[in-house]
Amino acid sequence: MRELFDGEKERRRLDDGFDYVIVGSGAAGATAARVLADTGASIAVVEEGPVVEPAGFGDAVFPAMKRMFRAQGAQAARGRAFIPVVQGSCLGGSTVINSAIVWRIPDDVYEPWKTEYGLGDAIPLAALHRHWDLIERELSVAPTPPDAWGRSNELMDAGKTKLGVAASPTRRNVAACKGSGRCLTGCPHGAKQSMLLTYLPYAMARGARVVAAAKAERVVMKGDRAVAVEGRFLEPLSKRPIAPFRLEARKAVIVAASAIQTPGLLARSGVRSPHLGEHFQAHPGAPMTGVFDSPVTMWRGATQGYDADEHRRDWRVKIETISLPPEMIFARMPGVGRRWLETMSEAGHLVVWAAQMRAYARGSVRERFFGTDIAYDLEPRDMDNLRRGLRFAAEMMFAAGAREVITGIHGMPERLKSPDECRLLEQAPADPRHYSMIMSHLFGTARMSVRPRDGVVGTDFAVHGTRNLFVVDSSVFPTNLGVNPQHAIMGAAMHAALGLSGRL
Amino acid sequence: MLSSRQRAALDALLPSDAHPVLTRGLFDAGFDEFHASFEREAHPSLRWTFRAALWCAVWVSPLLIGALPPVSRLGRDDRERALGALVSHPWYPLRQMGFVLKAVAAFCYGADRASRRAVGYPRQHDEAE
Repeated sequence: MRELFDGEKERRRLDDGFDYVIVGSGAAGATAARVLADTGASIAVVEEGPVVEPAGFGDAVFPAMKRMFRAQGAQAARGRAFIPVVQGSCLGGSTVINSAIVWRIPDDVYEPWKTEYGLGDAIPLAALHRHWDLIERELSVAPTPPDAWGRSNELMDAGKTKLGVAASPTRRNVAACKGSGRCLTGCPHGAKQSMLLTYLPYAMARGARVVAAAKAERVVMKGDRAVAVEGRFLEPLSKRPIAPFRLEARKAVIVAASAIQTPGLLARSGVRSPHLGEHFQAHPGAPMTGVFDSPVTMWRGATQGYDADEHRRDWRVKIETISLPPEMIFARMPGVGRRWLETMSEAGHLVVWAAQMRAYARGSVRERFFGTDIAYDLEPRDMDNLRRGLRFAAEMMFAAGAREVITGIHGMPERLKSPDECRLLEQAPADPRHYSMIMSHLFGTARMSVRPRDGVVGTDFAVHGTRNLFVVDSSVFPTNLGVNPQHAIMGAAMHAALGLSGRL
Repeated sequence: MLSSRQRAALDALLPSDAHPVLTRGLFDAGFDEFHASFEREAHPSLRWTFRAALWCAVWVSPLLIGALPPVSRLGRDDRERALGALVSHPWYPLRQMGFVLKAVAAFCYGADRASRRAVGYPRQHDEAE
């Protein structure tokens, strides 16, 4: 197929030329490709990760992590605690391995972008809503239907009713979800409307070329113009180089490589800004595990089909159901030896709900000789919010009928036995090293600003001081969102692509 | 290839015939094959961290309960006690070693069909029906 050049299979040098070269095939890059493909322009989409075939999605975690996750899931932020930073690294990016959750940017998040960060109407909210309307139609976005809930999501619904709090079925980009709870290892039924199944094929059907297993090493600049992207095809597992490539860009280079990879690529391309790689923000999360007398079998039902945003504004925390595969449940269960087997044997009776936090903390992302260095440490007020959020999650679990709640916090009782004990969570240690956290949703490392002295990218999405080097991923967001960012990223990328092709 | 000391630590982590529902131990679940492939294909940072975790399990964990290493010198109860002290140790780096040990073991054990069936995880073809 001429539209796909798979470096892993082709194993030869590639030199070619296009109107637009897009680096990254995830939510941002694929959306830009989808928009530009409509203009009749020639497009190349460069993806560092390998091509993955939905027919080959298995249900074992480690093979999936090896093939589809950045650094096989071993990428971590360095602070007092090491917090794993989860990112997809395959054709379609994180949209292949996420839970397909769709949230528009809340007004209370957007407003400071206009005022405090001075962006005014650079990305008008009304335009974003128009883009989101289109995307939601094209990706079959809808609230998770009750027949796909499964017991875990039903229980959050029960907890919400009992407590009378704000929670609802999660809106997701899924067509006919079969509720197999396997979003994390790639939807085996092709129900998740990831970029792999939607916007990339859309663009390819209109002539876009996808170049996979291809690490973009630098954007070649001629004065203030981006003229090409150079890099190497890599063996996906070993990362050993296979062959070089050079893709000429006649009109523009569009960087959509994520808030972790984009600053490194820009720095290697000669972009200099004190803001590059700075202002890194994220959504760290920690789980609570509820134990129920009756079977839950969290593996039946949508992976993340229900969420509670009761405390999204005041505590900056959102509670989400999550169905974990046995590998990940087992790893989190307490004990070793016979005790570990005993706690693992409860797996069919568990729910895992995570507190996802809009952290205040800001970190940095830097290229070092050993790889990408993510420096990040939570602030005391973040830990306060996390503890409140975990208490809220535990209270919802008891309200839903949990017999016990497993805290998973070092220095805390292993299990809470009654709703009254939930208050202990607010006195839990304030040190992030006591928690088992994971981080996704990454922002801010090439933030947008009106003036070059305040950021990396201008309000037209072009890197300050360049004419046609654009950044369209969540690196440009001035803050994190407090909600799952795929939709926000796609809306912004659509706006940028329409703008740079003169169609706004 | 795992040494006998390393095997003793991993066997204590998930022993065979030690639970009425989860009867299989880590090695019954194919950890030897898993480990061979892990050593070949895992990301270097994962590989080296697991090696360090195994080293801690063998040589450090006995010290945490006042016993002399290696862990293979100890009886079954003390091996479990030593590993338990590692995974719950107040010093974060040691606790992390314990977590990595458990996480890599769980990558293998949680993918084991028999162990999955034992906790009620559906087989793939069940979903297609």
